[in-house]
Amino acid sequence: MNFYLSAILLGLGFASLALGIFISMRIFNIPDITTDGSFTLGGAVTAVLLSDHTSLPLVLLVAFLCGALAGSITGIIHTKLKVNALLAGILVMTALYSINLSIMGRSNIPLINIDTIFNRLPFISDSISQEIFILLSFSLLLWLIVSWLLKTDFGLAMRATGNNENMIRALGVNTDRMKILGIALANGLIAMSGFLITQIQGFADINMGIGIVILGLGSVMIGEIFLKMIRVHKIGWHLLGVIAGSIVFRLILAFALSIGIDALYLKLVVAVFVLIVVSIPNLKRAS
Amino acid sequence: MKREILLTLIFVATLFSCNTSQTKNQEQTKITIGFLDLLQDETLAQAKKGFFNALKDNGFDDKNLDIIYRNAQNDQPTLQQACDYLVSQPVELIATNPTLSTITAVQKTKKIPVFMMVSPRPDIARLTDANGKSPSNLFGVYETLEYIDTSVMLIKTVLPSAKKIGTIFNQSEPQSMDALKRIESECAKLGIELEKLPVNSSNETQLVVGALLNKKIDAFFALPDNVVFSSMEVIVKSCDAAHVPVFTSEEGLVKRGAVAAFGADMYEWGYQSGVQASQFLKTKLTTGLQPEIVKSRRRVFNEEKAKQYLLKFDSSFVPVK
Repeated sequence: MNFYLSAILLGLGFASLALGIFISMRIFNIPDITTDGSFTLGGAVTAVLLSDHTSLPLVLLVAFLCGALAGSITGIIHTKLKVNALLAGILVMTALYSINLSIMGRSNIPLINIDTIFNRLPFISDSISQEIFILLSFSLLLWLIVSWLLKTDFGLAMRATGNNENMIRALGVNTDRMKILGIALANGLIAMSGFLITQIQGFADINMGIGIVILGLGSVMIGEIFLKMIRVHKIGWHLLGVIAGSIVFRLILAFALSIGIDALYLKLVVAVFVLIVVSIPNLKRAS
Repeated sequence: MKREILLTLIFVATLFSCNTSQTKNQEQTKITIGFLDLLQDETLAQAKKGFFNALKDNGFDDKNLDIIYRNAQNDQPTLQQACDYLVSQPVELIATNPTLSTITAVQKTKKIPVFMMVSPRPDIARLTDANGKSPSNLFGVYETLEYIDTSVMLIKTVLPSAKKIGTIFNQSEPQSMDALKRIESECAKLGIELEKLPVNSSNETQLVVGALLNKKIDAFFALPDNVVFSSMEVIVKSCDAAHVPVFTSEEGLVKRGAVAAFGADMYEWGYQSGVQASQFLKTKLTTGLQPEIVKSRRRVFNEEKAKQYLLKFDSSFVPVK
């Protein structure tokens, strides 16, 4: 498969992660560290259930609900026990490490000869085309649903909670409930990303979530750049930018891997490239 | 607005032009192979060195071999993309080091031969299908865990007074958990008490080893585990301060301060895999090739440490520097 195409597909796999982080970051101003744990939780649950030949829609639902449960626990700890949001996330992430290990039973589960989401369609025979079709439709559906959700009264109230909590509370919204539901939704989306990535890479590993929150934050930030460029502020475009950011991040890494720099400098080169990408729109202002 | 568009176009153009110029420069007569590494580690690097030296000894060097080496720097999405890159290049084979690289490569490609090293037997890594067959493109050299039994027995032979052994293990690595189970059963057989504590990353090692030393252990056993590999110096320092000798199953760790070991030499492990790879490169056929168990295991000891702890090693042990 063309190398850059696989990077784009991996970016689409992480699109759900970026959307989840967008919700927790932009709407609640809370960088949610639970992500590292709920991403792995989604992957762990997927690997275990698929190895048991569970039906795919059920696996997706369970992955989403598990992530949502983890997120709601973070939300409850933050709102009801008044624990700092970052610490609440760290606590749940740490606890999830043990939970994920006990779900998986071992630290790594390869998916061997298992029907994944990528070999179910009878009308497309080529596996690469199937992967493209499934990931594009999945991401499109996700974008449409989340855009719609954030434009409903409920969604607007959620966005307002992050924007001006006191104001929306004065208008009668239960901000605690909004936060819990919002973080639950965000982590449900993140767990769905774990569901997809596990099937793309063909295994689930206990360490697959380590550092993934940074990947998501980077995608959201890069997405913001696109928005600055096109100067539109509708939520639909915001979300599209976030998904594009996820893809661009993977393409930057793909480029760094293909130019064959010394392995030691890989991370430095990626950081420099990302810096170049995010500072392009600021150059005009500086001059 | 115009400047941003122009800069983005230049960026995208550079992106694609760099890729195509690389393929143009590739000479037609050179063979290309890929090497997929997971992280920077001194002990694992021995296997890589062994692999490349085996290729050189079999006639494959800079003149006729192009090696595409990619290291994921311990990041899983990067490992995915690095493997994607190797699969997209015209490589004859992909060498993988250690276990996670092997699993990634085998899931990414069913056609390109994968030569593994520092990996467990395919069924231990859960890579076999319902009939127990490992992937048809998987070759290389694996290790089972029987050598760990001998390593633990070593302690009883060399230090008969040892009643309590301490060890740290990493729950996130399958070979660490499997090794721990073997150590537990071996200690039970020998009547030695085992104190074990889990560790998740190398910055926790000092604290965890300190806790173990507080339990008055007679010896410390370093099992094959990436956290142990990366924090060996810390382990040795803490144990030396408490005058507790460190035994292990990995020869590479004896060079770094353990007293003795019985196990596979990482260098020889990579070398054996390299020999198999050379055979494939010469014949371009995989007939007769299959994953093989590591052949070279030996007893080694560290002379300096042996003197420090007043331990005697007979001639069946080889001193390592």
